[in-house]
Amino acid sequence: MKENVASATVFTLLLFLNTCLLNGQLPPGKPEIFKCRSPNKETFTCWWKPGTDGGLPTNYSLTYHREGETLMHECPDYITGGPNSCHFGKQYTSMWRTYIMMVNATNQMGSSFSDELYVDVTYIVQPDPPLELAVEVKQPEDRKPYLWIKWSPPTLIDLKTGWFTLLYEIRLKPEKAAEWEIHFAGQQTEFKILSLHPGQKYLVQVRCKPDHGYWSAWSPATFIQIPSDFTMNDTTVWISVAVLSAVICLIIVWAVALKGYSMVTCIFPPVPGPKIKGFDAHLLEKGKSEELLSALGCQDFPPTSDYEDLLVEYLEVDDSEDQHLMSVHSKEHPSQGMKPTYLDPDTDSGRGSCDSPSLLSEKCEEPQTNPSTFYDPEVIEKPENPETTHTWDPQCISMEGKIPYFHAGGSKCSTWPLPQPSQHNPRSSYHNITDVCELAVGPAGAPATLLDEAGKDALKSSQTIKSGEEGKATQQREVESFHSETDQDTPWLLPQEKTPFGSAKPLDYVEIHKVNKDGALSLLPKQRENSGQPKKPGTPENNKEQAKVSGVMDNNILVLVSDPHAKNMACFEESAKEGPPSLEQNQAEKALANFPATPSKCRLQLGGLDYLDPACFTHSFH
Amino acid sequence: MNIKGSPWKAGSLLLLLVSNLLLCQSVAPLPICPGGAARCQVTLRDLFDRAVVLSHYIHNLSSEMFSEFDKRYTHGRGFITKAINSCHTSSLATPEDKEQAQQINQKDFLSLIVSILRSWNEPLYHLVTEVRGMQEAPEAILSKAVEIEEQTKRLLEGMELIVSQVHPETKENEIYPVWSGLSSLQMADEESRLSAYYNLLHCLRRDSHKIDNYLKLLKCRIIHNNNC
Repeated sequence: MKENVASATVFTLLLFLNTCLLNGQLPPGKPEIFKCRSPNKETFTCWWKPGTDGGLPTNYSLTYHREGETLMHECPDYITGGPNSCHFGKQYTSMWRTYIMMVNATNQMGSSFSDELYVDVTYIVQPDPPLELAVEVKQPEDRKPYLWIKWSPPTLIDLKTGWFTLLYEIRLKPEKAAEWEIHFAGQQTEFKILSLHPGQKYLVQVRCKPDHGYWSAWSPATFIQIPSDFTMNDTTVWISVAVLSAVICLIIVWAVALKGYSMVTCIFPPVPGPKIKGFDAHLLEKGKSEELLSALGCQDFPPTSDYEDLLVEYLEVDDSEDQHLMSVHSKEHPSQGMKPTYLDPDTDSGRGSCDSPSLLSEKCEEPQTNPSTFYDPEVIEKPENPETTHTWDPQCISMEGKIPYFHAGGSKCSTWPLPQPSQHNPRSSYHNITDVCELAVGPAGAPATLLDEAGKDALKSSQTIKSGEEGKATQQREVESFHSETDQDTPWLLPQEKTPFGSAKPLDYVEIHKVNKDGALSLLPKQRENSGQPKKPGTPENNKEQAKVSGVMDNNILVLVSDPHAKNMACFEESAKEGPPSLEQNQAEKALANFPATPSKCRLQLGGLDYLDPACFTHSFH
Repeated sequence: MNIKGSPWKAGSLLLLLVSNLLLCQSVAPLPICPGGAARCQVTLRDLFDRAVVLSHYIHNLSSEMFSEFDKRYTHGRGFITKAINSCHTSSLATPEDKEQAQQINQKDFLSLIVSILRSWNEPLYHLVTEVRGMQEAPEAILSKAVEIEEQTKRLLEGMELIVSQVHPETKENEIYPVWSGLSSLQMADEESRLSAYYNLLHCLRRDSHKIDNYLKLLKCRIIHNNNC
């Protein structure tokens, strides 16, 4: 029985189904709400997709209820949104509240419901595209041309109260380009485009989006033709400037490469180093002061010899004019003969070795005053000299006569033992000798000669003093001119004992026995038996180193006088060979023989008083 | 000005002077910004600009955090159905459309915003604590939670400043909805726990959007006089 009922039921259903299928009518398929959007946060619309309609007319209804409510509502507006849509008006729209809605599809055969959709208007906001897109090419006179894009927000959006906030974006491209140029515009409703290709047709579009939501669709494209004169003046100017500067740089580099050194020296002139003649920096680096100083010409500075070694062979003081001349000749001969090599016409006579301007310039001012002062006391002291000779040390024999006039002026003062006691102690021993003479010799009565040679100026000065015929002005001029020429002589400035070369006092030769440590010269009368008269007027045979002390000035300066007439070098040489042998001469020759050992710094000059380098002087006594 | 009237005039001036001095002493110091003063609107503008920036930022973070959580843990599982009526701030009578927002007065509006912000202090704190304590704490979610907590505090301070300027006489109203979902966050059942987190993040996203919208409304209303 039961089986019959069941089978009957199944049969009936299948029959019904066949009937329906034969008719082609089915209940509607399940619809689906696929999209809900709110363009302004005040209304929203939902669209559904209907299922199969089953061949019968189907009604759709959307029902919903809201979060926190239980009452069901039906869609208020099926039309505004189009077919299969439901539009919720302002009074039906609430923010921050979930809508639970579903669509009911109903036909004659049946109905079907869609799934529930939970919708919050907050998160379905998508505005319409902006409206009234206007594009214009603007070319102001003073400024660059640009593309001016302007638009307006979509309708029905409340921006004024702040309920809705819109952000815009534009895009443009040349008509035939593939990619768009996108610009974000923020909340403004206008935009400028500066970089454009002239002569092309551009497409411009704009879209917008809420502060939290979806972008709108792009607005319809607006076409704009860019005029051909839409030039970028700046780029051409900058390109030309860049090219020009590059060319200039290349020229400068080429010029520098060609004349690199000269330009460098022009810009950065080399710093002049110290000019000390004979100064060898390498020796200084080695730390050998002896070599360095020898290179400079300061022999034995500081000297290492004992005082006793610094013995002068003899000192000859010639009182008469002839004797004076002879003395000068004799003085010069040995020096000339023994050291022919020193007859160097070079203006750098070696006097400058120790007398370079750097060393001497500082200390030349004081002695320069000496000439002016010297001339006066010279005249004054002449009559006094014979009187002051008594002040001689007993061991010193006062020598009368002409004394070579050494002018301690010019720029060589510092190396000379200046008549200033303060300078002597740290210096070489020849300073001590001067001290000896200073002590020994009275204020105006130092006949002892110290120097073997004298400078030309001294010779001249002595000549002028001796003659007395020439005016003092000429004397001074000669002296000064000579100084200006060589500027290397610092001859002794010694007072003259007497009227120059006019007196008829006999020659007194004094032999320096020894030099005490105190600086006192011990003088002995010279033996003349062997030598005879070493000084003969006009005979250039006397090869002795002689100078006559004409006087002492300022209590510490010996005035030496030598022969101003002797000028022939050859005669000196001959005289050196033919000089009468004598102990003194031999000694002098020996002394002079030592001179060649000295470097050429100790130069001799023709014509009388030669400048004797104290270094040479000291060296001769080793 | 005759000589006869001068003593009366001098006396009246003196009286006015004395009265002014007395009145000045009794008058309380003027508020920094009585409502509507031009000078204050400049400062208020900066405050509102700053507040809007913060609220916008906080909602962006909340939205991202929710999206990441949903994508990772709860997508397609219908947790939204259980999130209905789950926000603790739903008791507050907040405007839900533009008309309601325009009807509410400025003072109440500000108080409302401040209440919402205050009510979120504790939930945010616990959210950070609980997410940090998870076994495999999602770094992206945790970092955003930390940032939201920080920025919400700043926004609250800014709002209190605005309130003190716009409505200095407002009494401190400490009433705000209390969140009680901590126990749900700590439930052992994963489904329940996930549901609790989902609800929390869902409500956070909504309320942050609400605050952002309200502030933009107020900014246009107060600063720009409804002419943004």
